[in-house]
Amino acid sequence: MIATAHRRALALAGSVCLVAAAVALGSSPVAAQDQVSVRAMVDRQEMSEGEDLRLTVEIIGPSLDKVGPPDMTVLEDFELSAGPSVSTRYQWINGASTSSRSYTYALTPKKLGHVTIPSLGVLVQGRTLRTRPIDVTVGPRGAIRAPNQPPPATPRGAGPREGSQGSQGRQAAPISLRLRAEVDNRSAYVGQQITLRLVLDTQTEVLNAGPLDNPTFPGFWAEEIKLPDQPEVRRVTLDGAPWNEITLMKRALFATTSGSLSIPPMAWQVQVRRRSSDPFESFFFTPTETVTRRSDTLTVTALPLPAAGKPAGFSGAVGSFSLALSTDRTASKVNDAVGLKIKIAGEGSLGSVVAPPIPELADFKRFDPKISSTSSVTDDRLRSEKTWDYVVIPLAPGTQTVPPVEFSFFDPKTKAYRTVASQPVSIQVAKGDETPGSALPVVAQSDVRLLRRDMHYLKLAPDGLRDRSHPFHRSPLFLVLLIVPVAVDLTLWGWARGRDNSPEAARSRRERRARGVARRRLRDARRQMRPPTARAFYASVAQTMTDYVGDKFGAAGAGLTHQKIEELLAGSGAPEELRAAYHHCLEACDFARFAPSSSDEGEMRRVLASAEETLAGLERSLDA
Amino acid sequence: MIPAPRMRPAAFLPVAFLPAVMAGALLASVATARAATPQSLFEDGNAAYKAGHYDQAVAAYQEVLANGIVDPRALYNLGNAYFKMGRIGLAIVQYERALRLAPSDQEIRDNLDLARGQIHDRPPEPELQYPIRVARDTLEMLPSGPLDAAFLVLWFVTAGFAGALPLVGSWDRRRVLALATLAAGLLALTAGAAVAYQVRMEEAAVAIILPDKVDVRSGPGEENTVLFTVHEGTRMELGNRLDTWVQVSLPTGLSGWVPASSVEKV
Repeated sequence: MIATAHRRALALAGSVCLVAAAVALGSSPVAAQDQVSVRAMVDRQEMSEGEDLRLTVEIIGPSLDKVGPPDMTVLEDFELSAGPSVSTRYQWINGASTSSRSYTYALTPKKLGHVTIPSLGVLVQGRTLRTRPIDVTVGPRGAIRAPNQPPPATPRGAGPREGSQGSQGRQAAPISLRLRAEVDNRSAYVGQQITLRLVLDTQTEVLNAGPLDNPTFPGFWAEEIKLPDQPEVRRVTLDGAPWNEITLMKRALFATTSGSLSIPPMAWQVQVRRRSSDPFESFFFTPTETVTRRSDTLTVTALPLPAAGKPAGFSGAVGSFSLALSTDRTASKVNDAVGLKIKIAGEGSLGSVVAPPIPELADFKRFDPKISSTSSVTDDRLRSEKTWDYVVIPLAPGTQTVPPVEFSFFDPKTKAYRTVASQPVSIQVAKGDETPGSALPVVAQSDVRLLRRDMHYLKLAPDGLRDRSHPFHRSPLFLVLLIVPVAVDLTLWGWARGRDNSPEAARSRRERRARGVARRRLRDARRQMRPPTARAFYASVAQTMTDYVGDKFGAAGAGLTHQKIEELLAGSGAPEELRAAYHHCLEACDFARFAPSSSDEGEMRRVLASAEETLAGLERSLDA
Repeated sequence: MIPAPRMRPAAFLPVAFLPAVMAGALLASVATARAATPQSLFEDGNAAYKAGHYDQAVAAYQEVLANGIVDPRALYNLGNAYFKMGRIGLAIVQYERALRLAPSDQEIRDNLDLARGQIHDRPPEPELQYPIRVARDTLEMLPSGPLDAAFLVLWFVTAGFAGALPLVGSWDRRRVLALATLAAGLLALTAGAAVAYQVRMEEAAVAIILPDKVDVRSGPGEENTVLFTVHEGTRMELGNRLDTWVQVSLPTGLSGWVPASSVEKV
């Protein structure tokens, strides 16, 4: 009773103050209440699966500091789907102030049948106040109550129903609202458009509607389809009853992966006009109510694109497209830029087409394209257009042809890949402007570029085929040629060796080497050129001189007397003075060897110099 | 499966058999000349290839090779025809054979590279230092005929100098001649090493995998464990052979046994 009175007072105070004050004074004896009270209310006690229940926990008291939100963790049969939204009111009546704060939640039942909102605790100024538990009956899906049929409300216990915001004692008119999501196609290819429509079926006047949260579509790429400003309302008949069908939202969805994809439920808050049986309330202000509705999960099958017949240049476009290639002029000059535009347009999404499908152009310098893409929705179908604007500069004169550009896409209507190609475009390129005064035009040179790799063509054999499996280094002749020089060399060396070992060769070798041997021995003798070894020195010099003549004439040095040497030297035509010097030197040595007094170093040096000189002279004379 | 072109080690054939072999070859060429000359077969193959009848082209080129005319151009064209048919493994075999006969041919090398780019297994690139790599590439590029000639000329020059050594009386002249012999000998040795390298390359027991996929097992027989898997076109070195199984190894050191029918020796 108190609650209702309060409720009434609130409503009146909001509109007509005087009347409200009078009514409040007359009917509410609890204006000076200083006790804080809490209570829980639901908007209805019978509901269908898939609907949301609105739970309001209201805290009323003279002052609301140190008041916390209710503890919602004890909810077992419900899932908290939205909330809380908090509203606080304050009023002053007859010098007493009253505050009220309400926490409003949207709850989704987890099961069918009888479910209970348990007693909720609210911490107020250090102590916990509890609400009363509320029973709710959840019916199967689609069991929407007829609008005029009174709901079978069975409040728990003997107390009055603490339920909807409507007036207690009167049955509130049920709200016939249903939110459903529908798609135009339950199975589509990856990249093919699926149109999703979110529809509100209502038998009540809907004032406003808005989504509770942003809808997400995992596995899809979604494009919004703009709705007309004036919502489109269709009258339909469901189960023999008239309903209004309002389209709330449309999305063009494109599956990005194949497989079974689900569109999660979407929750909307709808503000509806209540049919109030209270004429007073109806008259003074619009009785409205905000309810939450939730759509069902939709499952869509995304089919993978067939692997068979996939063209090489396919980049994932699905739909129906056309391709146009145009140039801004058909005649140009070398180094004069030409605009080249490739446009792909049609029904479907072009978001995945990234590679500009232009072939490599020889004799053109090409700059990176400017890419622009637009999309629009016509008759709920997404139409895309992508344009590549190139600037190409002809580098060489002549008729230059831009070859046909190809674009491949998958057409879900025919379930096949299609390739469209542009017409080749010819550009007449004239030679560049010649600078007046210069003899020859300046030609911009560029490297010859390889456009793409391909295998070399067949080889031809105009000179006839030959068996080349036997290279020369495998032929016997090669082996023979390898061995012949070695054999020849070995023979030559053997012959030369045999020649060297003959007595004549030995004599000749001895003769050839005589001078060298004598020179070496005289050098050795020089070391003995001291008084203590004077004898050895003279003996050595004498022996060297004798042996030299022996070597030269092939005689044994030991058997050579002065007489014999003189004969040999004279016979060989050595000059008289050389022979005399030779003998003089030899005699000096003999004399010194047997006359120990002469160990003068100066004498030794003289003898050695004379010996070297004489031998050098003899060598010259004998060689001549 | 086509028969490998005959690559007899003719260098070691007894000289006495040479006339007989030559007479046989002459008879064979006379016999085939009546039906179709290798030249006309080759041109038939080219025409079939141009018309897109690659299988006919393959048959024609094989006929040329079967006539004993192992020309690198025929091998190369056969490789091209296989390539066009999508038989990458066989194409690589033919290209490698052609390259052995004409190591300096850039077109063969390019198409071989292109075919190797089409195979599944990435060819392991041996890590070689810069100068060694250049030396190897140079050795592989040298044309075989001129290299043989150069080697023989250097060989004769060296031998000539060495033979003249004892004939020269003067010590000074003899020293100059000895230095010249040494220089020519070093050059001959280098050229000889290049020839030897080519001979080794020609004799290298290398095979190409032909089926799409071959399991390499730890031993000769299906009961052995699969060590790794190789795919069409992969180049493997051949090792021992036991019954119908051959031992193969990769340059990375992996080795195992595969059925002999799954590889084609180059």
